[in-house]
Amino acid sequence: MSRPGFVLEVDDRTPPLLVHNGEGFLLERFPLGTRVVYPPEALPAVRDVEEAIQNALLHPLESEPLPELLRPGMRLTIAFDDISLPLPPMKKPDIRQRIIEAVLTMAADAGVDDVELISANALHRRLTPNELRDIVGERVFRSFFPDGKLYNFDAEDTANLTHLGQTKHGEDVEISKRAAESDLLVYVNVNLVAMDGGHKSTSIGLASYKSLKHHHNSHTMIHSRSFMDHKASKMHHSAWRMGAVLTEHVKVFQIETTLNNDIFGGPLEFLQKREWEWSIKDQASMLATKRGLDLAPAKMRHKIFTDVRANYGLTGIHAGSIEPVHEKTIENVHRQHLVEVQGQSDVAIMGVPFVGPYNVNSVMNPILAACMGLGYYFNSYRGNPIVRKDGAVILYHPVDYEFSQLHHPSYVDFFEEVLSESTDPATIEAKFEKQYAEDPWYIHLYRTSYAYHGVHPFYMWYWISHALDHCGDIVWVGANRKTVERMGFRSASTLQDALEMVSHSVGRSPSITYLHNPPHLLADVR
Amino acid sequence: MSLADQLAGKKVLVTGVTGFVGEALLHRILGDLPGTTVVAIIRPKGSMTGTARMAQMLKKDIFQPFYGEGTPYADADELTAARVEVVEGDLSDVPALPKDLDIVVHCAGDVSFDPPIHEAFTTNVLGTKSLLERIDESRDGTDRRIHYVHISTAYTAGRRRGAIPEASVEHTVDWRVEAEAGMAMKSRIEEASRSAAMLTKFRKESEKLHRRAGHLTAAADTERRRTEWVAKKLVETGTERARSLGWTDCYTFTKALGERVVEEFASKLPTSIVRPAIIESAVQSPHPGWIEGFKMAEPLILAYGRGELPEFPASPDSVVEIIPVDHVVGAICAVMATEPELSKPEYYHVSSGARNPLTFEQLYAGVRAYFSKHPFDLGERGAVRLPVWKFPGGDSVESMLRYGERAHKIADQIITHVPRGERTRKYARELDVQKRRIDFLRRYMDLYSEYAQAELQFIDDNVLALHNALEGDDREKFWCDTSIVDWQHYLQEVHCPSVTDSLRRLDVVRKKRNKALAETAGTLKKVQPSDDGSQIIAAFDMDGTLLSSNVIETYLWMRLLELDSHQRVGEIGSMLRKLPKLIAAERKDRGTFLRTIYRRYQGADLDELNRIVDEVLAEHVLERLSGAAVRRIREHKAAGHTTILITGAVRPLTRPLEPLFDEIVAAELAVDDRGRCTGFLSGPPLVGESRAAWIKHRARGTNIDLSKSYAYADSHSDLPMLTTVGNPVAVSPDVSLFRAARAARWQIVDWKTPATSSRLEIPGVNAR
Repeated sequence: MSRPGFVLEVDDRTPPLLVHNGEGFLLERFPLGTRVVYPPEALPAVRDVEEAIQNALLHPLESEPLPELLRPGMRLTIAFDDISLPLPPMKKPDIRQRIIEAVLTMAADAGVDDVELISANALHRRLTPNELRDIVGERVFRSFFPDGKLYNFDAEDTANLTHLGQTKHGEDVEISKRAAESDLLVYVNVNLVAMDGGHKSTSIGLASYKSLKHHHNSHTMIHSRSFMDHKASKMHHSAWRMGAVLTEHVKVFQIETTLNNDIFGGPLEFLQKREWEWSIKDQASMLATKRGLDLAPAKMRHKIFTDVRANYGLTGIHAGSIEPVHEKTIENVHRQHLVEVQGQSDVAIMGVPFVGPYNVNSVMNPILAACMGLGYYFNSYRGNPIVRKDGAVILYHPVDYEFSQLHHPSYVDFFEEVLSESTDPATIEAKFEKQYAEDPWYIHLYRTSYAYHGVHPFYMWYWISHALDHCGDIVWVGANRKTVERMGFRSASTLQDALEMVSHSVGRSPSITYLHNPPHLLADVR
Repeated sequence: MSLADQLAGKKVLVTGVTGFVGEALLHRILGDLPGTTVVAIIRPKGSMTGTARMAQMLKKDIFQPFYGEGTPYADADELTAARVEVVEGDLSDVPALPKDLDIVVHCAGDVSFDPPIHEAFTTNVLGTKSLLERIDESRDGTDRRIHYVHISTAYTAGRRRGAIPEASVEHTVDWRVEAEAGMAMKSRIEEASRSAAMLTKFRKESEKLHRRAGHLTAAADTERRRTEWVAKKLVETGTERARSLGWTDCYTFTKALGERVVEEFASKLPTSIVRPAIIESAVQSPHPGWIEGFKMAEPLILAYGRGELPEFPASPDSVVEIIPVDHVVGAICAVMATEPELSKPEYYHVSSGARNPLTFEQLYAGVRAYFSKHPFDLGERGAVRLPVWKFPGGDSVESMLRYGERAHKIADQIITHVPRGERTRKYARELDVQKRRIDFLRRYMDLYSEYAQAELQFIDDNVLALHNALEGDDREKFWCDTSIVDWQHYLQEVHCPSVTDSLRRLDVVRKKRNKALAETAGTLKKVQPSDDGSQIIAAFDMDGTLLSSNVIETYLWMRLLELDSHQRVGEIGSMLRKLPKLIAAERKDRGTFLRTIYRRYQGADLDELNRIVDEVLAEHVLERLSGAAVRRIREHKAAGHTTILITGAVRPLTRPLEPLFDEIVAAELAVDDRGRCTGFLSGPPLVGESRAAWIKHRARGTNIDLSKSYAYADSHSDLPMLTTVGNPVAVSPDVSLFRAARAARWQIVDWKTPATSSRLEIPGVNAR
């Protein structure tokens, strides 16, 4: 049986603790009394994945079994989560491949021949053929891709979008025409964290900018407390309303999976062990890795981390009607991630790792680093934020000036042109968003190349608006001063300096909490 | 009788009144000789007449006390009307002179030590001759007595040693023969420079550097080299002729011959020859430290103060014959009042060495002491470290310099051949600074080493006699006994503060400007939409400017995709073998180089190439685009400018960039009837001057305003294109373009290809 997460209080016997720091890590001694939140260990995985898939498809929640929904001559669309999940990417075979193969087998048995597979990438970049192959597997790829039946969703292809109506709040619901006109939409999801899944899958994954802007904006984001708790998240409320409209028009068969915390294997296994339990072998590989990374040129370091593939065990698979399925999913996710933390603290410390949803096979640029730390990790709570109102957040990441011109062309411009004018999400939204969203060059790149949509960096910035609003001080340790300053933050060379810098607002002996992730955790702050 | 009384009512013609001595003399006459009238020959300059130049001169500080309240004259004009008569004219063609002259002071002359030989003869010999003829003419055949005072130089003694008497220089050189030969040199050297052999040499040299930019650019440089060579030869010839006859340089040589001319006229005009030594700033009058422009020692003093003069080829014990300008002027005034006999010219050495010698070592110590107390403030680095001179002698300084020159040459060779980059450009800039210093040293050492090692002593008994004959307070006003000067005081309190003053003020300005420049370095000014309805274009080069790539690389991208792994190895191997040849071709002529590469496309299917670019290469091209470059292109588009991509790359490769540009000019691969590339282009590739021609042609007959247009490029071969527009920008330039851009003060930016892209990744082969 795996051990639950827990909160360690640093005393004089505590060894230096591991902190993720971009493409690398360091060992840090925290002040005495610091609370360190450890995620639960990986839950035991489902032994027979194939059997679990069959079971879910044949015994769905509040829905007919999948075979009964399939009939010859029907239009079947299978949508699946894109490359942003899971993080880091999964060792082959991908769980989506296994499910899709099972669904396709059933469809073939039922004589369905109009099948299309869509990567639900919304305004994310298109996946390359290789990336699609990694997700759906060689067999599916070869049968569907050459005929154009396996493709990326294109949110700017106005001819292939359908407006399904408005929610009672006046929110437009506009999604992929193919999905909207299908007799059955099967959505294959990977639920890594509590934020994903549910109505967020289709109503966001297959939606256009027109639809997305109703919840992806600074106002909604600031009131999503947090994204990881859909009942307290304004963004999710909006998605749920849209889901209601959507399901009136489209029959959706939702398949959600949950994964355990078995992220780092092989020589990197020490990354998911508790420091005082490191064996001689763990210590040796830690030292070797650290030395190696320190010596390796940046490009090699980047390659080492980009190539990390996680083991992941399946902790559950549920299929059927969206809401009951998602409830089960959340239960599983909580079982894996939830750690009870008593009370908020003055200072929260987080190490931003190399992984992020939008830099798979790419580089984590400063905006993505901010989003990872202040968007995802900061929001990784249920109840209350880990840090008190006007408290301080200290993050670790090099925040180098590094952008992929291929994947993030609008990010560079956002960084240079927008952030140099203002870092306030609402101001930015009012002044610049429309221009970037409608820019023909970005749209061209989004549609034909592998670029995130022009508006995407804005979403990243809205993503952190809750943290910006909530925190008094935000300091980065060991980061590039110029880039951090441009984003409106401050930079310190050591943790001690960072604590010194925030002492004017939190005092000389603040209470400190360090979130020891990844592996993922969800702080249940009481 | 005082000098003022002796010279009252006299009319004095002064030549070279706008020069250093002339101006001081004018000042003294206006101030201390109230009864004397000045006639000045002034050359019109630009749009200013001689009269206007005089008026402008009288507005200077030193003349202010002579008019206005408390003086007989209300303003400068009234003073001019009463005391100064301006004759417009030039000494190369002396105008008719007033008929009532009493004294002529000939101060005008070429003060440069290394003038081209014909110029030296024109001013110092022939000019003097025609002036004397005009003076003679002005007497209208009468025997009116006009005292001619000739300002020469003490160094007419040339390379003689020991005591130099105040007498005619002994030599047998015929000035007429020399003048004729010297004047003829100009056309002879000009002719020599136009010989086929010389022209070929110039052309080869410039083509080595500029062939890539095109024939016309190379031709312009060839002609520049030729004229430079002519100028250099004329100077060299002058110096060598002087030395072959025993003079230090062409200046002293022609000055000495000028004296011969004067001596010939001494039978008609009573003549005095004043020979000042090295004239420097004033001790007293007009005010202590007064100096106009830089004389002989100033560049050296300033260079020393800046720490840029590590050593000097002087003998520490040789005497530096410095003489303050007010002593010279005092002596001239005293000489004006004398009445020499016909055919018996009087000579006067205005020098210090005979009775108050200043050795080179003392001069060095004085200057050093001054800068130790008052160092230059050259920015953030604190006071300059002053070099310590050991006076090792001319030969070792010379070899030191020669070593430096050779080292610089080698370093320069290297820097122009290594791959470009920010660091290369930094080294190139440092090398250029070094080069400037070495050139400076070379020039001044060649010019002055003779003087710094001279061992002559000018006897100045005649001047001392003049001084002793001065009566009453004339001794204060027209002091010309140099023995009273305290050299250390003069150097440290008077001369150095005065000559460094303007530079110190300039340094403050420069510091501010440099700071501002450093802050805006590398940031381009925002582009503005056209405000007068004219059209603005922005032309961009592709390879090296927008993205890091080159035709060899992109060729491999396109071709390797079609080949299997064996063939790939073969293709890369064959490319590698040819690389040295290709690089050599590239340095010589880009057009030929491109044709060689494109020949290899033979047999490729053009549609297939297009498909490969769209499906595989587009991402590679886009990944390598510089973010700043794309922003700039889009900025131009947003401002309504016409964006144009001009590249020597093949058309298919530009496909990913199509949405960014209004027009794309690229190399078109010719195809046969089956759509296969023939290996030829359908037109010559657009490189070097053809780009400039294309842009000019594009603008002709339209409302495109090239002076407001922009061009962006990275290599020296794009120089012609950049010069056609009003706003050229050098992007991550190679060393040659970097130098050209700095010289022309163009904007230089560094557009980096994102570090995340890898040069070793070959699309579709080992890329993701």
